[in-house]
Amino acid sequence: MNSEDDLFYNDDDSAHEMDDDDDDFVEMGIEPEPTSTNEKTDVEVFLYEVLTTEQIVQHMVDCIKEVNTVVQIPATTTRILLNHFKWDKEKLMDCYYDGDQEKLFLEAHVISPFKKTPNAKKRTTRATSAAVAASVQQEVTCEICYLALPATLMTGLECGHKFCIQCWTEYLTTKIMDEGMGQVGTISCAAHNCDILVDDATVMKLVKDPKVKLKYQHLITNSFVECNRLLRWCPMPDCGHVVKVQFFDSKPVSCNCGHIFCFACGENWHDPVRCMWLKRWIKKCDDDSETSNWIAANTKECPKCHSTIEKDGGCNHMVCKKCRFDFCWVCLGPWEPHGSSWYNCNRYDEDEAKKARDSQEKSRSALQRYLFYCNRYMNHMQSLKFESKLYASIRLKMEEMQQHNMSWIEVQFLKKAVDVLCQCRQTLMYTYVFAFYLRKNNQSIIFEENQKDLENSTEHLSEYLERDITSDMLVDIKQKVQDKYRYCESRRKVLLDHVHEGYERELWDYLDSA
Amino acid sequence: MAGSALKRLMAEYKQLTLNPPEGIVAGPVDEENFFEWEALITGPEETCFEGGVFAAKLTFPSDYPLSPPKMKFTCDIFHPNIYSDGRVCISILHAPGDDPMGYESSAERWSPVQSVEKILLSVVSMLAEPNDESAANVDAAKTWRDNRARFNEIAHQTVRKSLGL
Repeated sequence: MNSEDDLFYNDDDSAHEMDDDDDDFVEMGIEPEPTSTNEKTDVEVFLYEVLTTEQIVQHMVDCIKEVNTVVQIPATTTRILLNHFKWDKEKLMDCYYDGDQEKLFLEAHVISPFKKTPNAKKRTTRATSAAVAASVQQEVTCEICYLALPATLMTGLECGHKFCIQCWTEYLTTKIMDEGMGQVGTISCAAHNCDILVDDATVMKLVKDPKVKLKYQHLITNSFVECNRLLRWCPMPDCGHVVKVQFFDSKPVSCNCGHIFCFACGENWHDPVRCMWLKRWIKKCDDDSETSNWIAANTKECPKCHSTIEKDGGCNHMVCKKCRFDFCWVCLGPWEPHGSSWYNCNRYDEDEAKKARDSQEKSRSALQRYLFYCNRYMNHMQSLKFESKLYASIRLKMEEMQQHNMSWIEVQFLKKAVDVLCQCRQTLMYTYVFAFYLRKNNQSIIFEENQKDLENSTEHLSEYLERDITSDMLVDIKQKVQDKYRYCESRRKVLLDHVHEGYERELWDYLDSA
Repeated sequence: MAGSALKRLMAEYKQLTLNPPEGIVAGPVDEENFFEWEALITGPEETCFEGGVFAAKLTFPSDYPLSPPKMKFTCDIFHPNIYSDGRVCISILHAPGDDPMGYESSAERWSPVQSVEKILLSVVSMLAEPNDESAANVDAAKTWRDNRARFNEIAHQTVRKSLGL
């Protein structure tokens, strides 16, 4: 196998394409899956495909080829240009034909392929064989290893910086293996202050270790997916599939591995709350949840500058470290009128101390409010985690029922019930995020009623499945469970439809302060 | 890997001994181990460090020059870009990848064509012109910025100390 074949694409010839692709599959080290592209549709016709890693590589190669049919430059340069434009083909074409091409190449950190004589004095890699033969005797010092080597052992990019082949190989290997190419999908020339990027063909030529090559291909593929708005890796660990959509939107997509996630943000599918609010919420939870609990229990705020203060001594005469305000820890009023007997501070309740306490009350209540929503959110999340255990116990129950003269088909309602339970829990979990940022209005009251109803019936369903199912009244329970899960399903739909309608008609107001 | 690092360090040592830059002496502590060097740097003229001789230790990784060495002053030195334990914080010693604070452009970072000589010359200019924007020693940066007289006074003390006075 020659070095050209190692790469995803072939510079000069597309006739051998199929052979190359076969090589690629092997190179990527992943078995090609027989299940080809699955076309799936959401209720609202959101078209997307789940691609395997091989298909993604092919997709990338196709993108490059498509551009190359129009723009006549080496494929390897095209990849760098496309990467520079975040794989927006149209933008690249526009800049290429309408703008300053020299500037374009400069910004993408490549030397224009039309300018074959580089600005450096040295000759290019494609120097005539006669010239090479003449320079064989001549020794050049490699600036990395400081060894004097024949000029034939030196190589470099169009920028003219030459290093010996071994140093290049080691340099590229370090960049690929240790630094992960800085997540940008490119490596620059080893020379100081030179930002010209190493093209893929050169990397493949200089790197010999198959492990390093493989990693390089993974990194390229990854940067292709990461910068492409219409692609997203399945967030499941070790999944390796990519979801490709036709247009970017916040919609649920289901990967071949079974994981359902939001295409726009990559989180679990979070209807009814929108990505933006969920992101804020997750950040808030990560930042505060435990901290704010502690703060609520252990600190007060300076009545003047609102710095959070932890009291670590017995004296109630406080001096704020930040604003030097003297106040009383007990009533939070100014210290001055307290004189020598601090316990008289109830006397000042009516005045400034009251005001101070009011403002503190406000920040406390904001915290209380957050904790209220957070607790409920966490609670449903926790329950959702337990439902996997429920699946196991239900499976046992189903087997038992089949031994009691019930057919396989008749006991399937139990599995369906747990499915519905999980969906409801997930929806409920995110309703609390939605509600946290919601300003109260008539619609929000309706929403809360829907939420209450769904939560109630979900808890009932959960109870049936966990407890009542152990009783012997199997026929009774079947009716009860079926009724309940159908009710839950319909309530869930009502709630979601109401929220969606609110989005369409702009009925929701949000709290900025939250 | 270590073989090429060793060759390169030997070449650099040879070059530094043949053409030593002004005010800098550097070489392996022990000729058995080329990955630990000691360097002596004289304080640049017309600065508060003038006249001092500062000792530092350089530790080279086995994949040198692909990764930069580490440098640590073994004497006391009060300077905004030197941690209180002596470690030197200067962009040329940082690989292009790691810049958690986002202060440095990748152009000033380590690349395999840098060398011990270039590092030491950068350290000399760092001594002459501290960079108080990204301080390793916040006290020193504050003193340098707000109380230059005090900073010079401390520098003179370290100069005297470095000479064993």
